[in-house]
Amino acid sequence: MSFGPDVYAIFWREMKRYRKSKSGVLIRLIQPAVWIIVVGNTFAGTKPLIQAAGFDGEYIEFMAAGVIVLTAIFTSIFGGVNTLWDRRYGFMNKALVSPISRSSLALGKMLAISTVSVLQASLIIGISLAIGVQFSDYAMIVPIMAVVLLFSLGFSGISVMVAATAKSQEAFWGIINFLGMPLFMISPALFPLELLPEWLASLAKLNPATYTILMVREMMTGVPSGVPAALSLGILGAFVAVVVVVAGWTFTRDVNRPF
Amino acid sequence: MTGAIEAESLSKSFGETKSVDGITFRVEESEIYGFLGSNGAGKSTTMMMLTTLLRPTSGSARVAGFDVVREASRVRSHIGFVQQENAVDEYLTGRENLALQAKLSRVERSDAKVRIDELLDTIGLADRQHDAAVTYSGGMKKRLDIACGLLHRPSVLFLDEPTVGLDIQTRRRIWESIRRMHREHGMTVFLSTHYMEEADELCDRVCIIDEGKIRAVGRPGEMKGRMGRDVITMEAGGSARRLADRMGTMRGVKSVDVRGDSVTAYVQDGAGMMPAIFGEADSLGVTIRAVSMSKPSMDDVYISYTGHQIREHGPEPRRRKRGI
Ligand SMILES: Nc1ncnc2c1ncn2[C@@H]1O[C@H](COP(=O)(O)OP(=O)(O)OP(=O)(O)O)[C@@H](O)[C@H]1O
Ligand SMILES: [Mg+2]
Repeated sequence: MSFGPDVYAIFWREMKRYRKSKSGVLIRLIQPAVWIIVVGNTFAGTKPLIQAAGFDGEYIEFMAAGVIVLTAIFTSIFGGVNTLWDRRYGFMNKALVSPISRSSLALGKMLAISTVSVLQASLIIGISLAIGVQFSDYAMIVPIMAVVLLFSLGFSGISVMVAATAKSQEAFWGIINFLGMPLFMISPALFPLELLPEWLASLAKLNPATYTILMVREMMTGVPSGVPAALSLGILGAFVAVVVVVAGWTFTRDVNRPF
Repeated sequence: MTGAIEAESLSKSFGETKSVDGITFRVEESEIYGFLGSNGAGKSTTMMMLTTLLRPTSGSARVAGFDVVREASRVRSHIGFVQQENAVDEYLTGRENLALQAKLSRVERSDAKVRIDELLDTIGLADRQHDAAVTYSGGMKKRLDIACGLLHRPSVLFLDEPTVGLDIQTRRRIWESIRRMHREHGMTVFLSTHYMEEADELCDRVCIIDEGKIRAVGRPGEMKGRMGRDVITMEAGGSARRLADRMGTMRGVKSVDVRGDSVTAYVQDGAGMMPAIFGEADSLGVTIRAVSMSKPSMDDVYISYTGHQIREHGPEPRRRKRGI
């Protein structure tokens, strides 16, 4: 079986491209950096509120986990855009007439996007540390990265799937923007679920980002999130597994369907 | 013996339009076979069906012995495809583009290195191999793209308009590269073009395709032979029609064509016939103001089969299939 090397072929190409677009790295950092610095300080006064909801610490420490996941959400959900360029500029056809399978093509892209997402998230962790956010245990950075990688795999799968099947660029951006913002907002990224209205909190419980944020926050701050880590990890893992299968399947079926 | 490519009533429709309309043809192993046709004739659509990128609406095709629908993945491990639009990854260097192709087509790492060095030499890009492809000229990119199609030594190589939009020197270089690689590796080459010259220059056999249908197949030489050995063009003012009618009855004249004031005659022995033609013109009272003689080109062949002249500088080919 050559599935491994095939996936790696695509991964290698995507990472080469990423390395050559250095300006992109910084541009993609601006938004989360603004969030953590501006929003983190703007809402510093909400400390009593989040304390009442059971979080004992500074607001910026609370929301840092949210911004790490924000970075992962946007890096991975926008990550599929280059699949659009590939369809347009011939690389896709080149890959499609080669012996490698469609699912390795999809998976290679997803892994590359997730890797980039982890790199971006680690830069955000760097920024957090630089502005004084403290971790309860710095060894936790490694498992945090692992969770971010897993989470990104799911979201990049959604992105690649949408890009492979979108009938136009507008359709892609429409769907992606429709998904991205709510996935971030309807979650405990900025405020504890306890402070959200009942209906929003219930919606948030359907959002895989919610469990990711809870896990990352617990690992960063050492404050129990209220949902056992094993349960969160199980939910996230199941979500990612479903997306990987569906993305592989959709890609195989639809990617070169003419329209 | 199975051919390298065998198409049987192959058709593709997009909604109402029949882009490829029941074509049947066969390409032998190691042959260079050309699809000659104008914009929208159905060349790219045919190629995309043969390379498993499009599913035929009806009919079937085998490439390298495998069915393009039922055994698509086996077909893919035997072919190389250089698309009409350049598919070089401009972010990567020339060398990285070839390395990517090696990975995509599962070429052993050690083989890949040797072949990449060889190919970079053949296409004359060795000294620019570490520059990003975005800095290459159009001709360099095209040569790189063709090299990518060859790296894995496919048994059937598809080239969709390999020299479109390039100047004559660059085209000659690309022809030379194609010939050289064909000589060295003996693969079957299926190429499409709307340059007569290219079909004439490269192909063992040419297939003329127009509006999704095959109009003629033959060796370029034979096809030209059918037209007579010489082409005589005469300016005859308002009497062109009358002169043409008379010439049509002469022995040794294969066919006659009138365009405006000029008469084009395809004849067996141009020099020998010239006096007789002037004699006939005299007896009709027609003055021939100018005369020229040439060898029939593929252009003449194309016109005689399709009834219209190929548009070399016709409308830009539309963007490829994707609507984005
Ligand atoms: N995806 C598509 N949807 C609708 N029509 C299409 C599609 N692809 C091709 N066609 C039509 O099929 C016909 C043949 O197109 P094709 O691209 O095969 O021509 P071609 O011979 O390659 O021309 P060119 O020299 O311009 O590249 C054209 O009329 C074109 O409009
Ligand atoms: Mg074409």
